[in-house]
Amino acid sequence: MDLLDKESKPEINYTTATFKSTRVMNGHSIEKMPAGQLDFRISHRFGRINSGAYELFGLDQANIHFGLEYGIFNWLMVGIGRGTYEKTYDGFTKFTILRQSTGAKVMPVSVSFFSSVAINSLKWSDPERTNYFSSRLSYVNQVLVARKFNQSFSFQIMPSYVHRNLVETELDPNDLWAIGAGGRIKLSKRISFNAEYYYVATSTTYQGQQVYDPLSIGFDIETGGHVFQLIFTNSVAMIEKGFIGETTGSWGKGDIHFGFNISRVFTLK
Amino acid sequence: MKHLKVLFALIIIILPFCRSCYYDSEEALYPSTTSTCDTTNVTFSGKISPMLANNCLSCHSNAMAGSYGNGIRLEDYADVKARATAVQGSIKQTGSYVPMPKNGGKLKTCLIDQFDIWVRIGMPNN
Repeated sequence: MDLLDKESKPEINYTTATFKSTRVMNGHSIEKMPAGQLDFRISHRFGRINSGAYELFGLDQANIHFGLEYGIFNWLMVGIGRGTYEKTYDGFTKFTILRQSTGAKVMPVSVSFFSSVAINSLKWSDPERTNYFSSRLSYVNQVLVARKFNQSFSFQIMPSYVHRNLVETELDPNDLWAIGAGGRIKLSKRISFNAEYYYVATSTTYQGQQVYDPLSIGFDIETGGHVFQLIFTNSVAMIEKGFIGETTGSWGKGDIHFGFNISRVFTLK
Repeated sequence: MKHLKVLFALIIIILPFCRSCYYDSEEALYPSTTSTCDTTNVTFSGKISPMLANNCLSCHSNAMAGSYGNGIRLEDYADVKARATAVQGSIKQTGSYVPMPKNGGKLKTCLIDQFDIWVRIGMPNN
């Protein structure tokens, strides 16, 4: 046995599957698509549960986000998407900085960097004034720091920065700073419980309405090539710019949206 | 080939950083249109129709109303005139009509005021 130990080189064991999906709930996790794999995502957020039985507790209205996301390398993924919410087009890149590992090299956490641009394509509220294309843009940068503590528990924190080129009044901040925390608890081989919360340090209003911190809870259900996520959230937007800065629903008042993310992966090479 | 791949990767990583950041606000950019609400020159073509187009017609256009707008059309003057009371109730979100626009948003006070004014002056088709 001693001989064997001497001969085998020390190996680095990289931690895998910190999260099951590239999203914790609304926001991104440190996970990326492996090289050559294309992820087609369809996400829905229905209306507010407290809108009553006439609206079938929000199910009568649906907000959709489509996304095509691709792993260029194992450490780099890109994606584009389009959401119903404010008719927004979005694009992002996400890349690995550090990988959690044990063995020959010990690294306690995985770190990824996420950066995105969103383009609001709504018609101008006043088409007669001089409107600038730049006014449609907003940007998000996030550092994602995650640790898989054991087989059933992973935790992630996300310091985040959101910049909006155009806001409504001089009092509204163009820059938003937020810190998110999310986690995953495995319930069975195929199901896990996930939760995600963002604390938005720059409290603000959006279009005259009070903005709340987004809180989402839900389940990941893994079924072969699909990961199915069921979500309860107070946010209707499915991209960072929207749920960090523009969540006008409050859990306390029952402004909760049911929703889901479906992810289908295609191997392209 | 390897170099090309690395170059490509670098471009994709660097792209998001090459941005033009602006620190604009509507209040500062368009002082004339946001600080005061134009309540004197409220016409159907100038104020009401654009407001409906921007906020309502994604569901309540002639084409979409049947499938998304519960059959309520707000594209033509005659339809808007016939529905004016319901529209007022919906956009003010006072409870007697289904609150609009959906998803909890509310129109800016100025737009609601202008619709009120247009109803009060007899809903002219101008």
